[in-house]
Amino acid sequence: MHEAPKSLSDYRKQMDEALQDDFLRRTLDTFAVSYRANREAVFKDVDERGLIAKIAEAKDYACQHMEELYQQFKEQAEKRGVHVHRAATAREANEIIARIAKENNVKRVVKSKSMTAEEIQLNPALEAEGMIVDETDLGEWIIQLRHEGPSHMVMPAIHLSRYQVADDFTKATGEKQDSDVQKLVKVARVQLRRKFIAADMGISGCNFAVAETGAVSTVTNEGNARMVTTLPRVHVAIAGLDKLIPTLDQALTALLVLPRNATAQRLTAYVTWMCGAGPCASAPDNKKIMHVVFLDNGRTEIAKDPLFSQIFRCVRCGACANVCPVFRLVGGHKMGYIYIGAIGLILTYFFHGKDKAKVLCQNCVGCESCANICAGGIELPRLIREIRSRVTEEQGGGAPAALLGSVMKNRKLFHSLLKFAKYAQKPFTGGTQFQRHLPAMFLGKHGFKALPAIASKSFRDRWPEIAPKSQNPTMRVAIFSGCAQDFVYPEQLEACVKILAAKNVAVEFPLEQTCCGLPLEMMGQRKTSIDVARQNVQAFAVGKYDAIITLCASCASHLKHVYPKILAEEADILPQARLFADKVIDFSSFVHDRLGLKAEDFTNSGERVTYHASCHLCRGLGVKEAPRELIADAAKYVPCEEEEVCCGFGGTYSMKFPEISARLLENKLKNIREARADRLVVDCPGCVMQLRGGAEKTGLNVKVQHIAELLAENLKH
Amino acid sequence: MPPVNLELVEAFSAKAAIVNAVVQEVPSMAAALQYVVDVCESKAPAELLADEPGVEQGPLGPNKVPTRVQRVVAAPDLGEEDFAVLAKACEEKGFACLREGLRNRLAGIDVGLSRSLAGVAGSGTCLMNTDNEDVRLAGMISEIHIILLRKSDIYPDLPSIAPLLRERMNAGSASYTTLITGPSRTADIERVGAVGVHGPLELHIILLED
Repeated sequence: MHEAPKSLSDYRKQMDEALQDDFLRRTLDTFAVSYRANREAVFKDVDERGLIAKIAEAKDYACQHMEELYQQFKEQAEKRGVHVHRAATAREANEIIARIAKENNVKRVVKSKSMTAEEIQLNPALEAEGMIVDETDLGEWIIQLRHEGPSHMVMPAIHLSRYQVADDFTKATGEKQDSDVQKLVKVARVQLRRKFIAADMGISGCNFAVAETGAVSTVTNEGNARMVTTLPRVHVAIAGLDKLIPTLDQALTALLVLPRNATAQRLTAYVTWMCGAGPCASAPDNKKIMHVVFLDNGRTEIAKDPLFSQIFRCVRCGACANVCPVFRLVGGHKMGYIYIGAIGLILTYFFHGKDKAKVLCQNCVGCESCANICAGGIELPRLIREIRSRVTEEQGGGAPAALLGSVMKNRKLFHSLLKFAKYAQKPFTGGTQFQRHLPAMFLGKHGFKALPAIASKSFRDRWPEIAPKSQNPTMRVAIFSGCAQDFVYPEQLEACVKILAAKNVAVEFPLEQTCCGLPLEMMGQRKTSIDVARQNVQAFAVGKYDAIITLCASCASHLKHVYPKILAEEADILPQARLFADKVIDFSSFVHDRLGLKAEDFTNSGERVTYHASCHLCRGLGVKEAPRELIADAAKYVPCEEEEVCCGFGGTYSMKFPEISARLLENKLKNIREARADRLVVDCPGCVMQLRGGAEKTGLNVKVQHIAELLAENLKH
Repeated sequence: MPPVNLELVEAFSAKAAIVNAVVQEVPSMAAALQYVVDVCESKAPAELLADEPGVEQGPLGPNKVPTRVQRVVAAPDLGEEDFAVLAKACEEKGFACLREGLRNRLAGIDVGLSRSLAGVAGSGTCLMNTDNEDVRLAGMISEIHIILLRKSDIYPDLPSIAPLLRERMNAGSASYTTLITGPSRTADIERVGAVGVHGPLELHIILLED
């Protein structure tokens, strides 16, 4: 276990240390890349989406019927000779387990892996009672020897090198140990076998508590859980109440995803199903003394929460860390308190309190990678944002937040400030620091790299001159510009207008539109975010349009998926907001799917063009093929490694965590360089800002543009 | 008895091989038992991972612990007739052949033999009735675990074994069921794969005709 960061600056300092750890970086890099490919391979033989939906449904049902399932489990387990306990708090759980140990005169305890035991800090509690507690999962044993907490839920020692492990084992055994991994594993085999034999009590975790039969199931690769639950005369299984599941069928279905997601395995080496207290030759009357301790620790309360109850769909596979670009850079000790990864940021808030979570919950770039692969389909980035707004609300945002709120609520003020910035920046041209999510400038924070200046004339000011006139149009659309393109990159919107006009589509640009509100969400400013959402919905006469096009993938995904949710309580505008959300479409999908642009619409330039798949396009909206096909129609598409990994922009994230953002950018640029392309196109102005800035700074001779610009340039007249 | 589904057998074998299980098809039970004896004979001596009072110790093994001199095979859930055949073959080789008392051999044995109730083709998994402690231990403390599985007992995927699992859980007062997929393994150090961290170093699955 480690300290949770207390302030943002403290946290950034901690992460900076992690960024200097070359071993960690290398290990996590290799892991991120191989995991992605291996995971894809093992999911080929099952219906991934279908299974995730089934797990979500089963776990949601279990969450809503937690009390009944607990009673059913208890009845079934007791019938089979098992003692069932329920602990309201971490402390109570520790007391129950210590009492069981004392009643049975236990001196030595062996444990198999349990995140719930980590959650309640069980080991120190038992050690305080004079017991010897040994972890037996290899990774857990290593970190126990080092007095550390896990840095990953499934691979707790992933942050350590074989040399560090060899040193730890040398100390533990009093003999010099070789750093060969195979040999180190065998050292554990010998040492831990002795501990299994000597133990009086085994403590295991629980992956599934099956209510219909009162069975406890553990999922392991090493086989230590079998030893722990077999050799000692006493077995205590500890389970969060969220591990209750109605039937075996549901547990087996979840098992189709859990190991695939965790370690890209079809199934782990061992899955045990312990149903009742069976024979045990080391027990006094040849019968196992078996206890199951259920932990509440806030779970029954969370289960009632209409939004957050979905966190109980978590099966603790750890995949949200495996795909997280931030985890990949800094590792689990900096990406959670006890629970790691995206789910860790959320669980910390609920299980370990606001103080531990308030800084941690800021560390999500919002790239949606985790939401895309979560075994239970949990909307992780959204929940993290929700926690942020709770933390902000509970703490009060302070003066900057109040200022931001009043500016953003008033579109005219916001836009005139942006225009004013155009003059204010003049003396600093070239060095002025800006973010795409421009409201952030009012917080007085600075970005970490030189970014483009505000355009001399915004799109809204150019509109009267460039608005095309169309007769008998084939379609009627409206543009939602987003702040970045309106005020920084109007040329991207102009490229779009050019294509639409050429294809006889009528275009309108409603001037009352304002910031989409995503940056406000990222900063936890829910109230203002609702205000701007209302303004935008009202700005568009939705019924008139066949589509509302946006060239910013982040805006598109926010308008489409988040508006109906944050406006759910605003009955007067909700129906219109839903209609609005339905009409929103990203640029590439519109021109590819709706306008049907094909190779014959372009003069293929043959130029080598590569692609960066913006997070909010490829995952937020699930758009993958359209932009790549369009590039290939207009030029020569050269794929780039890790096209779908975040560029590190993340809106306001890049200001809160500039060091992380810079490293993500560095990786991205390396891959782009290796693609040997002349041009890089993307579907989001934020990514353009990040990548163009990075390319310029590192002297990478690649033109970075919005895909609309490439298409407009090569469109046949 | 359902007919053997060759597609399932093939899929099972392929998936089991991916997780480093050795899959063997043999014509008869006699051949399977002979296979067990052969495996035991050709393997390196078992390492004694802990003290075992009165055991005859050989030279140090690769992990710097003494080795077992007399080889030990355990087959706690074999039928009486089959066990008699195996025991006789072991005796001829000078191996101990046990049906019980494995708690006295926790330092480690050479070969554990057990029977699987069902196979799962989707993952190369064997479902084991491990209610009996000796049966459980045979698959835990042996260096090589050999599982007998009838081809007609292979199911397509995990959800399809739910009724079987449920039946077991509802039959007696207590049950302990294990799903085994390949030998014991870990990747906890630098994500380097290693087999045999706590359980068997090798897993062999013998596919039997009915």
